[in-house]
Amino acid sequence: MSTATSRWRALGALMRPDARRWTGLGLLVALSSGFSLAGPLVVRRIIDLAGEGGTAAELTSLALVFLGLAVATQIILVIVSWFSTVTAWHTTNQIRLQLAEHVLGLDHEFHRRHTPGELIQRVDGDVTSVSDFLGRVVPRVAGAAAMVLGMLGVLFVVDWRLALGSSVYVTVAAGTIVRGRHRAVGESTEEMGSYAQLYGGIEERLTAAEDLRANGAGAHAMWRFVEESSDAMNSSVRRESAFLRLWWAVQGSVAVGSAVSLIAGAVLVTNGSITLGTAFLMFQYVLLLERPLEDVVQQLEVVQKANGAMVRVIDLLAVQPTILDIGTSSPAAGPLAVEFDGVSFEYADETDDSTADDTFNDTERVLHDLSFTLAAGRSMGIVGRTGSGKTTLSRLLLRLVESTHGELRLGGVPIADIPMTELRRRVAMIPQEVELFSGTVRDNVTLFDPQPTDAQVEHALGRVGLGALVAGGIHRELGAGGAGLSAGEAQLLALARVWLREPDLVVLDEATARVDPATEARLEVAIAEMMRGRTTIVIAHRLRTLRHVDEILVLDHGVIVEHGKREALAGDDGSRFHHLLELALEGTS
Amino acid sequence: MTRQPSVWRLAWRVMNHRPREFWLSWSLFVLFFTFPVLGGWLLGRGFHALENGDTSRVYVFALAALLTDVLRMTTIHAGALVFTRTWVHMQTFLRANLLTAQLASGGPESGQPVGSAGEAITHFRDDVEDATMFIDGLIDISAGTVFTVLAAFVLGSIDAGAATILIVPLAGVAIATRTLDNRIKRYRATDREASAAVSGFLGDVMAAATTVKVNGASTHTTARLRTLVDTRRTTAVRDRVLDDGVQAFAQGAADVGLGFVLLVTASAMAAGTFDVGSLAVFTAYLGWLSFLPRMVGRVMARRKQAGVAFERMRGLVADHDVRNTVLTRELPIGRRESRPRIAARRPAREPLDVLEVRELTAEYPSGAGVSTASFTIRRGSFTVLTGPIGAGKSTLLRALLGLTHEAAVHGSVTWNGREVVDRAAFFVPPNVAYLPQVPQLISDSVADNITLGEMSLDQLLRALDLAVVRADIDEMPDGTATLIGPRGLRLSGGQRQRVATARALVHAPELVVLDDLSSALDVETELQLWQNLAAAGMTVLAVSHRAVALDRADQVLRMDGGHLSVDDFSVKA
Repeated sequence: MSTATSRWRALGALMRPDARRWTGLGLLVALSSGFSLAGPLVVRRIIDLAGEGGTAAELTSLALVFLGLAVATQIILVIVSWFSTVTAWHTTNQIRLQLAEHVLGLDHEFHRRHTPGELIQRVDGDVTSVSDFLGRVVPRVAGAAAMVLGMLGVLFVVDWRLALGSSVYVTVAAGTIVRGRHRAVGESTEEMGSYAQLYGGIEERLTAAEDLRANGAGAHAMWRFVEESSDAMNSSVRRESAFLRLWWAVQGSVAVGSAVSLIAGAVLVTNGSITLGTAFLMFQYVLLLERPLEDVVQQLEVVQKANGAMVRVIDLLAVQPTILDIGTSSPAAGPLAVEFDGVSFEYADETDDSTADDTFNDTERVLHDLSFTLAAGRSMGIVGRTGSGKTTLSRLLLRLVESTHGELRLGGVPIADIPMTELRRRVAMIPQEVELFSGTVRDNVTLFDPQPTDAQVEHALGRVGLGALVAGGIHRELGAGGAGLSAGEAQLLALARVWLREPDLVVLDEATARVDPATEARLEVAIAEMMRGRTTIVIAHRLRTLRHVDEILVLDHGVIVEHGKREALAGDDGSRFHHLLELALEGTS
Repeated sequence: MTRQPSVWRLAWRVMNHRPREFWLSWSLFVLFFTFPVLGGWLLGRGFHALENGDTSRVYVFALAALLTDVLRMTTIHAGALVFTRTWVHMQTFLRANLLTAQLASGGPESGQPVGSAGEAITHFRDDVEDATMFIDGLIDISAGTVFTVLAAFVLGSIDAGAATILIVPLAGVAIATRTLDNRIKRYRATDREASAAVSGFLGDVMAAATTVKVNGASTHTTARLRTLVDTRRTTAVRDRVLDDGVQAFAQGAADVGLGFVLLVTASAMAAGTFDVGSLAVFTAYLGWLSFLPRMVGRVMARRKQAGVAFERMRGLVADHDVRNTVLTRELPIGRRESRPRIAARRPAREPLDVLEVRELTAEYPSGAGVSTASFTIRRGSFTVLTGPIGAGKSTLLRALLGLTHEAAVHGSVTWNGREVVDRAAFFVPPNVAYLPQVPQLISDSVADNITLGEMSLDQLLRALDLAVVRADIDEMPDGTATLIGPRGLRLSGGQRQRVATARALVHAPELVVLDDLSSALDVETELQLWQNLAAAGMTVLAVSHRAVALDRADQVLRMDGGHLSVDDFSVKA
C-alpha cells in the first residue's frame, strides 16, 4: 500500500513531461483568482461611498466596473476549463500507454490471474479517473488556494488583525478537511475495487454469453450479478458515509466562517477599527470561498476516485515481472539447437493472492528433471496425454515461465542470457488458442507492425493457404475478436504471423488442432516447408502432423518416458509411440 | 417498430423502480434547499442590525444563521444515505435488464447479442451512469426550483426591481443551453464511440497478452493504442469543455446578476433606502440562485446524454424496444436482504424420438453460410459432422440451435414431428446441450461452471466421469470447489474443454451437440469420451475429423462450401 506522499510523488513524476503546460495553466488560474478577488473590493468601495454620501452616478460607474470584472472572470474560467482538460488528457494518455506497455511486459502468470475486463478498468478506467481529477479538480483546488492566499493578502493590507484571525481560521478549516479526506480514501479504493469486480464479472459473462444462452444459464449468471451488485452497494454506502463526514467539515467551516465574520465585523465596526464596507468584504470573501469549496466537495468524489485509482495505478506499476530481460549473449545466427539440462519446473505458491492455489493441476504444470538435446535444424514431435506437461514445456521454450531447476539452452546460450527482443524474433510459437484483434487482416498478421510490406503479408497468407483472405483485400476489417474467421482460419492466420518473422526455432503447440483433415493436408506442405532450415518442435495430439518430424519425445506426468528417432519408435512394437499410432489408425478404412 | 417513449417517461420508470426510497430522498433534498433561504435572511438582518449599531442583535442573528446551517447539514446527511441506496438500485436494475436480455435463452426477454465484451462493458458502465445522472439532475432541479421560488418572494419584498432584473442573466443561460443542446449530444456520441474503440482494443490486447508477448508485438500494439487514445482525447476534451462551459456560463450568471443589482439599486443606495442588510440578502442568495440555471444547463445536457445512452442500450434488449431496459425486477441487493437462488426457467423435458432438420438455410450478410441442409437424428444415434474449415459446420449447429442472431435463417426443425418455433428457448438442457468450438468458462468453482445452478452432487460426479475429467478434478486440492480463475485460465486447455463437456452432459440432455471437441483432446481421451457417451445411451451430434469418431458414427454429415451430404451407416443392408 503506497503512502500519500509517494502517491503525490508518483503523480508529479507522471505530470513532469508536460511541466510547461501545467505551469501555463497555473498562471491562468492565478489570473482568474485575481479577478474574482477584485469584485468584492469594488462592492466594499460602493458601500463605503454610499455611507460617505457618494452620488448615484459614482455608484453606477463602480457597478459597471463590477459587471465588467464578472464577465471577464467567466471568460477566463472557460479558457481554464478548456486548457486544463486538454493538458489532463495529454498527460494521462501518456500514463495509459505506459501502463499498457507495463502490463504487457508482465509475466504470463499475471495475465492468467486477471480478466481482460479488469485490466481494461485498470489501464483505462482508473486513468480516466485520474484524468478527470487533473482536468477538473486540480485547477479548482489551485484556484481556491490562490484565492485564499490573495484574500489573506488583501485583508493584511486592510487590517492585520483580520488577516491573522483569518489565517488561523483557514488553517484549522483546511486541516479538518484534509484529515477527513484521508479517512475517505480507503473506502473509495474499496468501492472502486468492488465495481471493477462487478464490471469484470459482467464482461466475463458476456464473453461466455453463447455458452450461457445455450445452457439456459441466464438465471444462474443473474444470481452472481446480484451478489456482486450487493457488494457494490455496500461499498458505495460506506464510501458515502465517509464522504459525508468530509462534507460536514467543509460546510461547517463556511457556516462558522459566515457567523464569525459577522460577529467580528460587529466588534470591529463598533470600535471604529474598520468600515462597514470592510465588514461586508469579509462576509463576501467567506461566501466567495464557499463556491470553490462547494465545487471541490462536489468534485470530491472525483478526488476520491482518482485517489483510489492512483493507488491502483501505482500498485500496478509496482508489479514487477519475475522474468527479467537482462541477457546480453546472442546465439550464433541460423537454426537454434535446443538443450534441456536437468530442467524441472513447478509453479510457485501464490504470494499475492491468498485464495489462489495454482498447484491443483500438478500433472499439467510440473516437469521433472528433463534432459534432452535437439540439434539445430532438426524437428521433434512431443506427444503425451492431456496434462503431461507439453504446454508447460512450450512455455519454457518461449520464456513465458522460467525453470525452477536445471538449465535450458538455445544455440548453446542459456535462455535467460538471450536479450528478450532477440528471443522473440528468433523463437516463434503458434499457440493452441489463437487470439485475434479488431483490426484489418493485415493488422492481425503483422500485429500492428508497420514494417512488412503488403506484398510480404499477402505472400505469408498465401503460403498457409489463406489466399482467400488476400482476395478479399488485406485491409478489410475483421470484427471484434476476429469475428468473421473460423477457428481453423484463425489458426492458419497465426501460422502466417510466424512466416513473416523468419524465426530460427518454431514451436507449434497443437497448432493444427482446429483444422479439418482437408485443410490440414494443405497445411502440412506449408509446415514442412517452414521446418526446412529451422529447428522445430511440434506438440500434437494428432499423430498425422508428426509424419515429417525427425524425433519423437513422449511425456507422461512431466517425465520423459520415451525419446528417439521417429522411424525407430514407430517400428518398435513395444514403444509407447507405436501404441499411440495404432490407436489413431484403428479401424480406418 | 412501435413508438419509443421519451427520455422523461423512461426516467419516470427508473425513479419509481423503488418509489418509497426514491421519494424519501427526494423530499429530504427539497427540504435541504429551504434552509439557505432562512439562513440568508438571518444574515441580512444581522447586517441591518450592524449598520444600525445594534451589536447584541448582530450576535443573535449570526448564531441563528449558524444553527440553520447545522439543520441543513443534518437533513442532507440523512438524504444522501438514502439516495446512495436508491442510486445503486436504479443502476443495478438497468444493468440487470441489459444482462438478462444478453443471456436469455430465447423467449420474449432475449435481445440481440453484442459484438465484443470489452465494448459491451461501456453500455453497462457509462450508459447506465448517463441515464441515472439525468435523474440525479432532476432531483437537483426540483430542489433548486423550490429555493428559487422562496428566494424570489424574499428578494421581491426587499426590492422588486432588483429582483426582476435577475431574470435577465438566468434567461440568458436557458437560451444558451438550448442552442448548445444538439452539439452536446453529438459530441457525447462521438466521445463514447472513441472510448468504446479504446476499451475494445485494450480488451483484445489484454485477452491476447501472451500472443502479443510471444510475437514481441508490445511496441506495435502500444503504437496502435496511441492513435486510439489520441483520437479519444480530442473527443473527450470537446465533450467535457462544452459541459463545463455551459456550467461556467450558468455560474457566471450569478456574478453578472449581482452587477445588475448594483446598477439598478445605485440611486437607492445613494439615497440610503437600499441598505447593507438588503445587499447581504441578495449576495447570500445569489450563490444559491445560480444553482438552478446551472442545473438547468446541466440537466439539459444530461437529458441529451441520457437519450444517447438509452438509444445505445436499446440495441441490447429484446426487439430493440427501449421499454425493455426499464422492466421492473426484484433485485435483493440490500445488505440484510436474503438472496435466494432463482431457479432457472427451463423447458420441460421432451424425450427425443426423432429430430428432423429440413432445408435449413442460414445466410450471413457477407454471403457465407449454410444452404438447405436436411438430416435426421434418431434417439440413441451417433452423428458425426465433418468437413473442411470454413465449410459452415459451426454455422449449421448454431443455426439449428437458434444461436445465429446475425444471420437470416430459414427452414424447419421438428422434434418428434412437432415444429420447434423458438429454438433458442427449446434447445437448452434438458432437451439439448451444446458445447461451442471454443467454450468459455467463468471465474467460479469447477462445480459452478458445470452445474450453472443448483444440482445434486451425484449428477455432477456422473458428468465428470462421462467427460473424462473426474481424475483431474479429484487431484485438485478443493475438488469440485476449486476456483478456476478468470475465463478458466487456471486449467489447462484440455481440462477446460472437458469441464465444458461435463457442463453439456450434466443435465443428461436428450441430445448433446458437440462442436469440434477433438481439437483440444488427445486421441485416447476422445475415444474414451465416445465410449462413455455410447454406454450412457446418449444421442450425440458432434463435429470431429478423427477416425475414432467416424468409425463409431451411425451417420456422417459432410459439409463443404455450405452444402451438406449425408452418409447413413445405420441402415445396413
